[in-house]
Amino acid sequence: MTHFRTTRTFFVVAAAALLVATACTPGPAASSPTPTPAESAKPQQGGKIIQGDISDIATIQPILSADTSSSRIINLIYDGIIQQDYKNGEPKAKMATYSISPDGLNYTFEINAKANWSDGKPVIAQDWLTGLKLVGKSQKTVRKSSFQDVQGFLDYCVGSSSSGCKGTAKEISGVKIDSANPKKFTVTLTKVSCPAIIDLNGYTLPTQVFGKYATDTSKDEIDTAPENTNPTVFSGPFKFSEWRKGDQIILNKNPDYWQGAPNVDQYVVKVVANQTAIANGLKTGELTYGSIQPKDLADMQTVDSVKITKYQNLGYTFISWNELAPTAPALADKRVRQALAYGLDMDQVIKAVVFGEATKQVAHHVPVQWAYPTSPLEPYKYDKAKAQQLLTDAGWVKGSDGILAKDGKKFTLTISTNSGNQERETLAQVAAEQYKQLGIDTKAAPEAFQGLVTKLTTGDPVIEANIIGWSLGGDVDPYQIWHSSQIPDRAKGTTGFGFTGFKDAAMDKAIEQGRNPTNGDCSTAARKAQYETFNKILNENQPYNFGYANNVLVGSQKTLQNFDPASFSQIWNVHTWWIKQ
Amino acid sequence: MRDFIIRRLLYAIPTLVGISIITFLIARLSPGDPIRLFTFGIKDFTQEDYLRLLHAYGLDKPIPLQYVDWITNALRGSFGESLIYHRDAFAMLVERVPATLQLAVAALLLQLVIGVPLGVIAALKRGSWVDGAIRVFGVAGHAVPAFWLGLILIIVFAVQLRWLPSIGLLTVGHDQWDIPDRIRHIILPAFVLALTGIANYSRILRTETLDVLAQDFVRTAHAKGLHERTVVFVHALRNALIPVVTALGGILAALVGGALVIEQVFSWPGVGQFTFQAAIAKDYPIVQAGVMFTSTLLVVSYLVRDLAYAVVDPRIKVG
Amino acid sequence: MATTAATARVVPVAVLSRPSRSLWNNALYKLRRDKLTIGALFVLVILAALSLAAPLFSEYVFHYKFEQQDLLHTYEKPQLDNIAYLLGSDEIGRSQVVRLLYGGQISLFVGFTAAFFNLTVGVALGLGAGYFRGVLDDILTWVITTLNGIPQIYLLLIIAALWRPGPFTLVVIIGLLNWTGISLYVRGQTFALREREFITAARTIGARDRRIMFRHILPNVLPLIFVLAAIDVGAIILLESALSFLGLGILPPTPTWGNLLTNAVSYFVRAWWLVVSPGAMIFLTVLCLYLIGDGLRDALDPRLKTH
Repeated sequence: MTHFRTTRTFFVVAAAALLVATACTPGPAASSPTPTPAESAKPQQGGKIIQGDISDIATIQPILSADTSSSRIINLIYDGIIQQDYKNGEPKAKMATYSISPDGLNYTFEINAKANWSDGKPVIAQDWLTGLKLVGKSQKTVRKSSFQDVQGFLDYCVGSSSSGCKGTAKEISGVKIDSANPKKFTVTLTKVSCPAIIDLNGYTLPTQVFGKYATDTSKDEIDTAPENTNPTVFSGPFKFSEWRKGDQIILNKNPDYWQGAPNVDQYVVKVVANQTAIANGLKTGELTYGSIQPKDLADMQTVDSVKITKYQNLGYTFISWNELAPTAPALADKRVRQALAYGLDMDQVIKAVVFGEATKQVAHHVPVQWAYPTSPLEPYKYDKAKAQQLLTDAGWVKGSDGILAKDGKKFTLTISTNSGNQERETLAQVAAEQYKQLGIDTKAAPEAFQGLVTKLTTGDPVIEANIIGWSLGGDVDPYQIWHSSQIPDRAKGTTGFGFTGFKDAAMDKAIEQGRNPTNGDCSTAARKAQYETFNKILNENQPYNFGYANNVLVGSQKTLQNFDPASFSQIWNVHTWWIKQ
Repeated sequence: MRDFIIRRLLYAIPTLVGISIITFLIARLSPGDPIRLFTFGIKDFTQEDYLRLLHAYGLDKPIPLQYVDWITNALRGSFGESLIYHRDAFAMLVERVPATLQLAVAALLLQLVIGVPLGVIAALKRGSWVDGAIRVFGVAGHAVPAFWLGLILIIVFAVQLRWLPSIGLLTVGHDQWDIPDRIRHIILPAFVLALTGIANYSRILRTETLDVLAQDFVRTAHAKGLHERTVVFVHALRNALIPVVTALGGILAALVGGALVIEQVFSWPGVGQFTFQAAIAKDYPIVQAGVMFTSTLLVVSYLVRDLAYAVVDPRIKVG
Repeated sequence: MATTAATARVVPVAVLSRPSRSLWNNALYKLRRDKLTIGALFVLVILAALSLAAPLFSEYVFHYKFEQQDLLHTYEKPQLDNIAYLLGSDEIGRSQVVRLLYGGQISLFVGFTAAFFNLTVGVALGLGAGYFRGVLDDILTWVITTLNGIPQIYLLLIIAALWRPGPFTLVVIIGLLNWTGISLYVRGQTFALREREFITAARTIGARDRRIMFRHILPNVLPLIFVLAAIDVGAIILLESALSFLGLGILPPTPTWGNLLTNAVSYFVRAWWLVVSPGAMIFLTVLCLYLIGDGLRDALDPRLKTH
């Protein structure tokens, strides 16, 4: 028995040794300095671009794609007829030039003579029409509603009767292909719609491959087509080569690309577990470029071989206030919401949560969008005294326990957010602490995104405050989020993204005029005037604490040349990138 | 014997049915809605679109009907189509199996290669500090949280020392058959996965070896002047390996299921991680296919183990 | 034939013998000598005491609440200047050591409560099936083999990912999943015991089934249940921390050892010390529990060879 005891007492030493060993990890390995390649004018050929992404793609079929990862690959192999300027988002020509009729109802597109498919055939108007027809026939697409204003589309498309699709027509009456020029076509809308031009980019797909799914007798075979995961004909700078599921997608360069063959041989998207893995991949040189989180910025800046580019995100993170929540009646009062804006030290929050890499928001549009208001808005600078004053004005007085109360009811607040998103969880906790200082009994309550999404879109009154973010791609039209018709109504059973319950007649009118102007004027100047009014109303009423618009940080190897990402596109000029060998 | 086999096989059927019911219910009765999840924030997405998609995926039928649909398809080999990837769920799952299998086999090898000798050495050097250390490890190996160990190893070996990579199967751009690269990638996750097994085997082997060493035939061999090492390796190991072999079946299947957390930590593209991500996204067909697959594997392995036991050890009653 | 009563004169000889001990006494005797198990028990009790006293520590020793933030002192290294940052501070300046103590409360609570559920369900079902046999036993065996057919951690993670339970629901779910081993063991023991004479005797004198089960069989099964219990608590603590680490189970701001690691993972480039402490606590606690279980088994199992 003796050795039984003495030998096993070693465990104390062993366990302690284990703990000490892990505590004494050596310092970071010194990174050997890589000489910065000098800028040379002539692009070199060859090399691979390897991008890191945290999720695998879902599909390579544009009409079925609903996630950013899939869209990225799709944009590399299929070109669109128009594009948005990579810096300010204004629509402009890509494969086609366009003009709009004076009444705003007819859009005429003419595809570039050079635009062709990788099998040699030219890109023609029929290809755009094929894409539209497939949207009409598919059961699994989420894009049908984008085309409901195209004349005859609702007659053509199939779907359940409640979706408005009738499925009676064999052709889409609003699309007319010029008989003399197969590259020219006109689309007629049923009403004037300013955002339409962006949606009318549609999907230009090779009729030689997908045409068979868009015939008169086709049903929804497009949803399960094998070409959705194994495409063969392309119009973009790259061609699909291989998809190693869960691991990587490999694209080869398209030597026949109409804008000129890319300089690199391959574009690979590698799936990695998380952002940390991307940062590591950049450090080791395994990845050519990828997004970096603000918390890794300081560390990344010490890596000589990596260059960091910053631009503003097209979107913002905010706290929404549910005016219709019965358990938080204070939120219905404008003064309370303003107090909640003055009472949160957003600069400190930005420093803590995103390490200073964000701009404070006080209205809907972000600075990089053309609709961003030029007239001055109330900046809601942190002012605890003012916040306290507004709360008192609204009738909320601190009780003996330090918590605000009115008519015998205490001011309690629960800030929900989706768990698993560190930034939002931290924001929730920081906000909760700061509001506690004002006398509001606040707590942060992260929950699973799946449950949260359902609660938000159905207008569940249990949600009082919620932290989430909007991604504002495409047109500046804020209808989906801010129009009063988008407020979910539990009694009627309607859903929508207007979960604050905030409505304002003047704001509705501004949104409507910016979207479907009665005078048909879709010029930037006319619309901007409407959005000035719109943003001013939001700024004053603070239905959200508009939070911040974060900066996107992209790390790239210094050997990658001509890389010029911006808010609206990272890959707009991918065919001109080259790697210094 | 044949009756025994047939009985065991038949008995597996109600088990699999039970598993299928549990699998289906835990997926379909869970709160939340997959369609709302993957369409949140999409422009112009209307209530009509939502109802249309609900119908297209067959999610608007009552639950028992959905179960009947699912099970009849499953018996024909089709587990449905992923809600997010629009591809056959089972096919997608099978694509991931090789990765997990590699990890499980590598872990198994490590368990045997490290665990068995450790146990034998502990028995041979009974009473010394080596024995003590190994026995300490035998307990401590179970107490370490696998994910924490994985993180520490990543910090030490991948981030600080830069000796080993921390993500995935293979370095980007390397050939699939680049064995040294694959080995570098598999070492850390396989080791973490193997840890509890190593601890187990070292304890089992130590006990078994000690038992064997105490027996008469060993003393006889000693008396005959045979080298101790020969004695041990020829006689002791053979006996000691019986429990190891019969445990293999259950262990392999358990590795497949238990590798989930490790696959997450090391972003290893295996079955476990794939099913888990599908559960988070509420992609029912994949979750159901994943659980059924792993469970069937486990049930089959238990069957094989029981049969192996019956064959190997004649003392075990078969009737 | 003379019946010589060969009276064997029984000479009372003083025989040195140890007084016979019951299983429990024997166990305690062995345990008192097992310094390692005593040590583990001691450490465990200290950890439990520290966790339970977390509010007191927070108030009087560290002067820092667990949810208290300080955005100007994030990622502080472990230091002695500010006692609240003894183990450093996290991404919003919260005290790691205070959160660690509070985290212990949750982990230990979940561990012991879920284990209690496991034991109750496992013992009850095992006793019932083993004693009554027949259909009850068949059903139970079917349920057990079905549950065992799905790898435990896997099932738990999938359920947690789909259902996202809160802390109390989580305890119940773990409690309902982990009982199969215990019930199989109890069932086996009950099978064996019910054939013994003392049970037959009890039945002959008309004792009711329930009395037999609880007064006669259970006490004989109980000792080794404690061993299973100790190991069960350890296993549950590991399970819960894996769950919180993955962002399921108990979510921030409530600190648990597992979710302290979820955050620490992202920040280990800046603050690797945040990764060490929570994991070390889990390791230490579970190690003590396993050693106690081992020690109990050594003490209670009369069949154990003393190597």
